[in-house]
Amino acid sequence: MNRTRRRVAITGLGLVTPVGNDVATTWDALLTGSSGGAPITVFDASGFPVRIAAEVKGFPADGGLPDRKLVKLTNRSHRFALAAAEQALADAGIAPTPATATRWGCAVGAGMMTYDFADLATTHRHAAQTGELDALRMLSDDAANDPLVFCRSQATAGISLLTQRFGIEGYATSVHTACASGGQAVGTALKLIRRGAVDYALAGGFDSMISPVGVAGFCLLSALSSDNHAPQQASRPFDVTRNGFLLGEGAGFVVLEEWESARRRGAHIYAELAGDGNSLSSYRITDSPPDGDGPIQAMRQALADAGAAPGDVDYLNAHGTSTWMNDRSESAAIRAVFGDDTERVSVSSTKSSMGHLIAAAGAVEVAVCALAIQHDVMPVNANLRELDPEITLNIVRGEPRRARVRVALSNSFGFGGSNSCVVLRHPDAVDGGLAPG
Amino acid sequence: MRNEKIVITGTGAVCAAGAEPERILDAVLAGRSAIAPIKQWDASEWPIRNAGEVRLTARELVEDRKLHKLIRRTDLFGLYAAGRAIAAAGIIGHRDTLDEEGARRFSDRTGVYVGAGGGTYESHYDYFPLLTEANGELPAFGRELANTVNPMWLLRTLPNNVLGHIGIRYGLKGANACITNHSVSGTLALIEATEGLRQGEGERAVAVGHDAPVEPQLVLFYHRFGLLAADELRPFDARRDGSLFGDGAGALFVEKQAAASGRGASVLGEVLGGGYATEAQGLVAIRDDGDGPARAIAEALADAQIDARDVGMIVAHGNGTRASDASEAAAIRAVFGAQPPPVTAFKWAFGHLIAAAGIMETVLALAALRRNVVPGVATLRELDPACADMPISAAHQTPRSDVALILCRGFAGTNAALLIRAGRA
Repeated sequence: MNRTRRRVAITGLGLVTPVGNDVATTWDALLTGSSGGAPITVFDASGFPVRIAAEVKGFPADGGLPDRKLVKLTNRSHRFALAAAEQALADAGIAPTPATATRWGCAVGAGMMTYDFADLATTHRHAAQTGELDALRMLSDDAANDPLVFCRSQATAGISLLTQRFGIEGYATSVHTACASGGQAVGTALKLIRRGAVDYALAGGFDSMISPVGVAGFCLLSALSSDNHAPQQASRPFDVTRNGFLLGEGAGFVVLEEWESARRRGAHIYAELAGDGNSLSSYRITDSPPDGDGPIQAMRQALADAGAAPGDVDYLNAHGTSTWMNDRSESAAIRAVFGDDTERVSVSSTKSSMGHLIAAAGAVEVAVCALAIQHDVMPVNANLRELDPEITLNIVRGEPRRARVRVALSNSFGFGGSNSCVVLRHPDAVDGGLAPG
Repeated sequence: MRNEKIVITGTGAVCAAGAEPERILDAVLAGRSAIAPIKQWDASEWPIRNAGEVRLTARELVEDRKLHKLIRRTDLFGLYAAGRAIAAAGIIGHRDTLDEEGARRFSDRTGVYVGAGGGTYESHYDYFPLLTEANGELPAFGRELANTVNPMWLLRTLPNNVLGHIGIRYGLKGANACITNHSVSGTLALIEATEGLRQGEGERAVAVGHDAPVEPQLVLFYHRFGLLAADELRPFDARRDGSLFGDGAGALFVEKQAAASGRGASVLGEVLGGGYATEAQGLVAIRDDGDGPARAIAEALADAQIDARDVGMIVAHGNGTRASDASEAAAIRAVFGAQPPPVTAFKWAFGHLIAAAGIMETVLALAALRRNVVPGVATLRELDPACADMPISAAHQTPRSDVALILCRGFAGTNAALLIRAGRA
């Protein structure tokens, strides 16, 4: 390890999730394990095999944005992103100024589904009634010629909106490794500050796949829980009766700063963003390797990168999707990494409450780890009635667990085999030295 | 950590002008443009009729036919180019000589970095038959879903397919990224691969950028924004009227010097450093003064610890739009003053590869440096008077040194600059 490497502080959090449109509301819900699952309302899902999801609720249609023109440049997930980013910057009490703009970076995990179903349907009605695109008719289609449709459907629409709105002029990037996107975005921002490319970063993820095409895509893969009768219990990671994930949506952002400058300005530091690990499973595109190969390397690298030992870890926010394969594979990976220390590590999947926020999940869960460190309490793994006997982890069941969290890990594993693990450390353990236990 | 030398030991590329870096460069040097009438759909009545389409079949690009159902057109290009770079570097043969533990460690320490784009709209058209069958009604859409749409639809659509499939095909398990950052994606993949090696995240990595922007909806949108040319792409020309799309992918295999020399690999060149800046003016807007590219170049020079006068040639983004070329010239002027090194651009010959543009042009810059030539821009007839001080021409020039600067610009005001040094051919 390089002794002179710069440390990175987490100084601001912002969340828009299915269980709350801000940090405090989301955190309260995670502690009690209340679920964001409900029948789908954003479109008529009555004919779909899966009719439930964890939608963001009570969020203003215009995202609370100041002008209508800006609203028109956004899709649903962008509005979540702008709101969560605004919260994070306000929480940090620092924002880019003309003098610091070039020293700010932005790294986001952006959802893959940027093309709105309504626009697709418009083009279908006008230019594809036969079931195939008529390219000549496309020339006179409204949606296909609408500059606003273009702006909000571009993969970089998110960073464009964020950098312009907040005046970020340094390194700005969008990444996408499916469900690992948010974790990889935070990891990317960590590296940018460490290597001096920027001094501050807005990092996060945003997604909304609760749309006819998004839900359809997951239904076709049989990836979702079809417990339409019990949406609040549909997501039950590590339970022996689990049968797929609950699709969520939302955004999570963190403000990151070089440690010493954060200290100098007297910023409130939630945690040190201490390490990042990143690997490929290279097993199958959708399946998790049963022995945890891939996630194992990501966790080990993340711990090594943070200069932490398995015995230092008090809390692990699991990827824990509630699919049959992921949860067993992840359990095997955690056992392999932690060995005899496995019993000491409290594990929970907050997807049990929020559902799976896909490209936003990793970033939201990094914020959750920061809150666990801040409040000395680990959120509950909701809906766990009967633990899968193959899963031998110390899971936070029944109620949240109150204890000091010295080091926390956040796992995110994506379709395609990308694995991200992010390590957070208690600020007192950086400056003061925090005794084990 | 800057002292860690990152060397290039393999390249691969495919675009309308060819399926090998040297053949693509041959076409460029011969002044042949591969831009031609679009064939993927009937564009004869369209306002934009030309692009640089790759005409190779799926089988010619990726032999494994089972894979074709699981990936999209853009992924074929990415897998092809990455496969060529990996083969050129010879790492798989080397790994086969290692014992089990050594091979496992080799795979864990080999990264995959991808810049991806392409097919955003077209992939959704798989739902058109279902929408027709359901008569636009969602309940029927939901009921008939499984009977009409390929169950693998979502997987085919994943932006990170090339990343996942490179990993699976070659058993690579190291650090990785999939960057979906418009035109700078491929360049950023190479910058992040280089930084990952510098920071010790691995010993070697493949970096690839791929895209397939030649789809009707994207052509139409760009046209509505006035970004596309009526006929040909003429960077820095007085009468330039826009860009044109091209399909393709470019890839480089990079290694720590010690890793490459440890296995006796031949070295093509070196990645010296990169720089990056955002103008934050919105999706399409850019500043006139070249602020973003100028800052990116300055950062790349600082990162590489070299001086502007050490640069032997500049590969401009040169996308042929009025605003981008003019502001790029302003940036070059701001950094290099009155006597910039020879400038060229490549997009005129095979189109703008969007996510793959910068990395493709890096592959070609390396090949050109190794032949000691700055290729001319064959479509340049009359240099824009506003760019009169740019040493760019239809005729070939000679590089001032073995260092090339490659510029790359994307939507959201993003700008990347990359510096490479060529090894002796």
